[in-house]
Amino acid sequence: MLRRRFPEWFVLLLPAIIVIAAVVLIPLIFSLYSSFTPYKLTRPSTLWTWVGTYNYEKILTDAKFWAAFGRTVLFLTIVLNLELVLGLGIALLMNKVTWGQRTLRTILMFPMMFSPILVGFQFKFIFNDNIGLVNNALQSMGFNVALPWLVDGKLAMFSIIFAEVWMSTSVFAILILAGLFAMPRDPLEAAKVDGCTPWQSFRHITLPFLMPFIFIAMTIRSLDVARAYDIVQIMTGGGPARRTELLWTLMSRTGYVDARMGLANAMGYVSILLSIVFTIYFFHKLSAARAQIGMGG
Amino acid sequence: MKRMNILKALLASTSIVAAADSAMAQDWGSFDGVTIEAKLIGGEQYEGLYARIAEWEAATGATVDIISKKSHFEIDKEIKSDMAAGTTDWCVGSNHSSFAPQYEGLYVDLNDLVPAEVIAEFVPGIIGASTVGGELLMLPRAQFDVSVLYYLKSNYEDAEQAAAFEAEYGYPLTVPDTWEQVKDQAMFFADPPNFYGTQYAGKDEAIVGRFYEMVVAEGGNYLDEDNRPIFNSDAGQRALQWFVDLYEAGAVPAGTTSYVWDDLGQGFASGTVALNLDWPGWAGFFNDPEASQAAGNVGVAVQPMGSVTRTGWSGHHGFSVTNDCENKDAAASLVMFLTSEESQLAESAGGSLPTRTAVWEANIAAAEAGDDPFRAEALAAFAAGAEYAFAVPAIPEWGESTNLVFPELQAAIVGDKTVEEALNDAAEAVDELMRESGYY
Amino acid sequence: MDRNQTHRNRKRALKTLHFIALFATMSVICIPGLWIVLNSFRPTVEIMAKPPIWTPTFTLDHYRAMFSGAGEGGVPVFSYFRNSLIVSVVSTAIAILIGMSGGYAFARYRFKGKAGYFVGLMLFRAVPGVALSLPLFIVFAKVGIIDTHFGLILVYVALNVPFTIWLTDGFFRQIPKELHEAAEIDGCTRWQAFWKVEFPVARSGVASAAIFAFLTSWNEFALASQLTRSVGSKTMPVGLLDFTAEFTINWGGMCALAVLMIVPALILTFIVQKHLIAGLTFGGVKG
Repeated sequence: MLRRRFPEWFVLLLPAIIVIAAVVLIPLIFSLYSSFTPYKLTRPSTLWTWVGTYNYEKILTDAKFWAAFGRTVLFLTIVLNLELVLGLGIALLMNKVTWGQRTLRTILMFPMMFSPILVGFQFKFIFNDNIGLVNNALQSMGFNVALPWLVDGKLAMFSIIFAEVWMSTSVFAILILAGLFAMPRDPLEAAKVDGCTPWQSFRHITLPFLMPFIFIAMTIRSLDVARAYDIVQIMTGGGPARRTELLWTLMSRTGYVDARMGLANAMGYVSILLSIVFTIYFFHKLSAARAQIGMGG
Repeated sequence: MKRMNILKALLASTSIVAAADSAMAQDWGSFDGVTIEAKLIGGEQYEGLYARIAEWEAATGATVDIISKKSHFEIDKEIKSDMAAGTTDWCVGSNHSSFAPQYEGLYVDLNDLVPAEVIAEFVPGIIGASTVGGELLMLPRAQFDVSVLYYLKSNYEDAEQAAAFEAEYGYPLTVPDTWEQVKDQAMFFADPPNFYGTQYAGKDEAIVGRFYEMVVAEGGNYLDEDNRPIFNSDAGQRALQWFVDLYEAGAVPAGTTSYVWDDLGQGFASGTVALNLDWPGWAGFFNDPEASQAAGNVGVAVQPMGSVTRTGWSGHHGFSVTNDCENKDAAASLVMFLTSEESQLAESAGGSLPTRTAVWEANIAAAEAGDDPFRAEALAAFAAGAEYAFAVPAIPEWGESTNLVFPELQAAIVGDKTVEEALNDAAEAVDELMRESGYY
Repeated sequence: MDRNQTHRNRKRALKTLHFIALFATMSVICIPGLWIVLNSFRPTVEIMAKPPIWTPTFTLDHYRAMFSGAGEGGVPVFSYFRNSLIVSVVSTAIAILIGMSGGYAFARYRFKGKAGYFVGLMLFRAVPGVALSLPLFIVFAKVGIIDTHFGLILVYVALNVPFTIWLTDGFFRQIPKELHEAAEIDGCTRWQAFWKVEFPVARSGVASAAIFAFLTSWNEFALASQLTRSVGSKTMPVGLLDFTAEFTINWGGMCALAVLMIVPALILTFIVQKHLIAGLTFGGVKG
C-alpha cells in the first residue's frame, strides 16, 4: 500500500523524518508560538494571551541581550578556530606516531568521555583561585599569586574557552586524523622529488585535501556547540557582572529561574538562528572544498 | 567522615528508639491501599529522613512512591515544568520558603488539613515564613537555615598578634561582634594568596541574600510595603561598600564573586579563611578531621551586628500537598509524619536545625549534657542567631529580582561601577519588574 | 660523511621535538581528566587542601560510601548505570538503523530537493538543548512518556540520526551500484543484496557513527535532567547532581561516580578504535 503511494526513497527516509518531527519539530512549533505570549511557567493560563512581537521587541532593545549575543558569537568564533588549529596540530603529531597508535588515539579521545556537566565542575575546581589546582601549582612553583581565573574579565573568558576547547578539540583531531590517513601518498612524494619544502607541500597538497574533513568537523561542532552551556553555567553562571554571559545562560535563567518562558523562547529563537547561520556557512564551505578536490556530488 | 557517621548513626538510633514508643502512640490514620506519589529533594543531607517513611507506611497501610528525587534547584525547575504541563496530580512535594510563593495555586492551604494544635508546636516565625497570603503552604522539616560566624580559634590565641592588632586598630582582638570589626580583622588577618580574612558568596541569589541581610543590619530594607525597591538607600550603599572594601583590600579571595556555598565551605575547610559566615549544614563538616583541615580549630559565634541590629537571612525546607492530590488526608498525614517531633529529633541529630520548639529545647539540653563541646557551642550560636532570622519577601518575584540585582552587585565589587551607580541600576530594573507585575 | 652526520642530527632533533610536543599535548589532555580519577581515591581533606598535598593518600572511602545505603552517602549507582546503558545502547542501535536507511536513500536515489532535505535534517541537530528542553517536556508530559526509558531513547535517536545519515550516506555512495545489481541478478532481493553486499562494506562507517552516537547519549545532561525524575530512569550524568545539596557538594563522591561513567566509555572506544578511523575516513569526505 505504502509503496504504491510513496516513492521508495521517501519510505526509507520516513522513520528519520518522523522521529525528528516528533522530537524537534513539534516542540519547536510550540516554543515559536509561546514566544508570542507572556508565557510564565507558574501561570499556565498566560499561554493563551497573545502579545504579538512584544517579547522580541523587549529583547532586541535590551543592551544586555545584545552584549550576550555578541559575546556568544565571539565565543563561538574563538572556540571553533582554536579547536581547529589545535586539532590540526594534534592530528599532524599523531600521524607521525608509528608505535602504540591505537592506545594514543584512545587517550586522545579521553575528553570525549566526559559529560559536559562534569567538565564544568572539574574546571570550576581546577580554576578555583584559593584552593584550585592551577593556582596551587603556580604557588608551589614559587609564584606568590592567586589569579582570579573565574572573575577577571579576560581570565574568566579564557577559563570557559579553555574548558570548552579541552572537551571538544578531540573531535577535530580525530576527524582530521582520519583525513590524513586517507591521503594518497603519491602527490606528496612527487612534491618531494620536485624539491618542495615541507611547508610548501603541506600548504598546497595536504591542507587542500584536508579541507573537507575540516569543514565536516566544523559543521559537526557548530551543531552541538551549545553543549558548552552546561560548562559555562556551572563554572561562572554567566558572571561576574555578566562578563561571561552567553545567550544560553541568559536564556535558561530567564526561562527556568524567572519562569518567563515566553521571553526565553524568543531568545531561544535568536540563538537557533545563530546556530543555523553557522551551520549553513560551514556546509557551504564544505561543498566548495569538496568540489575543489573533485569529490563533489 | 567515618567518625561523624558513627556519631550520627548513634544519635539517630537512640532518638528513633525514643521515638518508636510515641510513634505507636500517635495515630497517623489508616489509608489501606492508598499510594502517595511524592517528589522529594535529594542529597545526602536530606535523605536520612526518608528512611523513616517505611514506618509511616506500616502504620497507615499506604505506600509512598517517590517519583522524583533531585537536588535543590533541579527540583524547583521540575515543579515549574510540571505546572506548565499541568502534570501536577502527584501529592507531596518538597518545598522551600524562598520558592514557595512562586508556585501559585499548586499547593493546598495546610491550615485546612493540619490541626491547629499541631501547627502551634512549630516555631511561630517559621510558620509565618511558610505562610503566603494567609495560606500555610508547607509544613517545615528539621532543615532550618540561618548563618552564624565560624572562625579559626588559633587567631585569637596569639598574644603577639593581639598586641599588634590593638596597636593598629585601637581595640582588643576578640571574636568580632560587629561587621565593622569583621572588616578590620579580615584586613588584619589577610595574607593573600596564602590566607584570607573572610569570604562571601558572590553570585546568584546567594550574594543578594547576603547583601539583603547587611542592608537590614544597617537599618534599611530591600523592598518597602508596596514592594518598591528601596535597597539603594544610604543603608544599602553602606552595606554594599562593606563588600567592596573587603574585595579591594584583598581581604577576601579574588575569586569570591564566583563562589557559592560549596566553594565557601570548601575554602573554610581548607583552613585558609579566618572568618566565615555560613550555614548550619557545614558545622559537622568543618570539625571533621577527615574532611577539614580546620577541624579542632573551629569556633562558632552568633552572627555580628551592623550599625543598627543583628540580622539573619533565613530559609527552611518543608513539605507541601498539591491541590490536585486525590487523597489529601493521607498526603497530609505523611507530611505531618515527616515533620513530627520524632522525625525532627532524628533528622536534627544529623546536625541540621529543627523547626519545632520542643525539638530545639531537647537538642540544646542534650548537647549541654553530652560530651561534644563543639556541637554544644554550635547549637548555642545557632539558637542565638535564629532569633534575628528573617525570611525573604513572600512574593513570586523574589527569585527573579535577585537575578536582576546580583550582576549589579558584582559590578560594584569588581569595580566596573560605583556603589551608587550599581544600586541605582539594580533598583531601576527591579522597579520595572515590580511595575510589570502590577504591584503599583 | 659530514653532511650525513648533520642530517642524522637534524633527524634526531626533530624526533625529540616531536616526542616532546606529543608528550606535552597528551599531558594537557590527560591531566584534568586524571585529576578527577585521582580525586576519587583521595580523602576529601586532601582534595581541597592548602597548601596543596602533592603526594596523595589512597582511600576507597568514596566508592564505599557511594555503594552504601541512602543517607550514608550512597547513591543508586546500579540503577543509574543500568538506565544509562539501556538508553544509550538502545538509542544508538535504533539511530543506526534509521540513519542507515536514510543514508541509503540519499546515496542511492535521485529525487527532487535532495540537498534541501539533507541540510534540513542536519539543521534540526542545531537546536540547542536548553531551547528544546521545556517544549519537549510539555509535549512528552501530554503524551505521558516523561520519566521513561522510552522518552529518553526517542530523544537520543532524534539527536543522533542526522550524523548517522551523513556518515552512512558517504559510505554507500562509494560502493559501486554494480555490486548489488549483480547480487540481484544472482537472485537476491534488494533487501538481501543490501545485507549481503552493501552493509559489510559500510561496516566501519556504521561503527564510527555508533561510537559517536553512544558517547552523545551516554554523556547528555541538559535534556536528561528535564525528562527523567526517579531512580527508575535517571541516567548517570543526572545522577552526578545527587552529590550536591543546597549548600554543600561532595566532590570526592562525584568523582567516584564520574570514574564509573568514564571507564566503560573508554573501553568501548578502545575496542572500536580501528573501525573508528576507517569509518570517518571514507564516511564524510565523499559526500
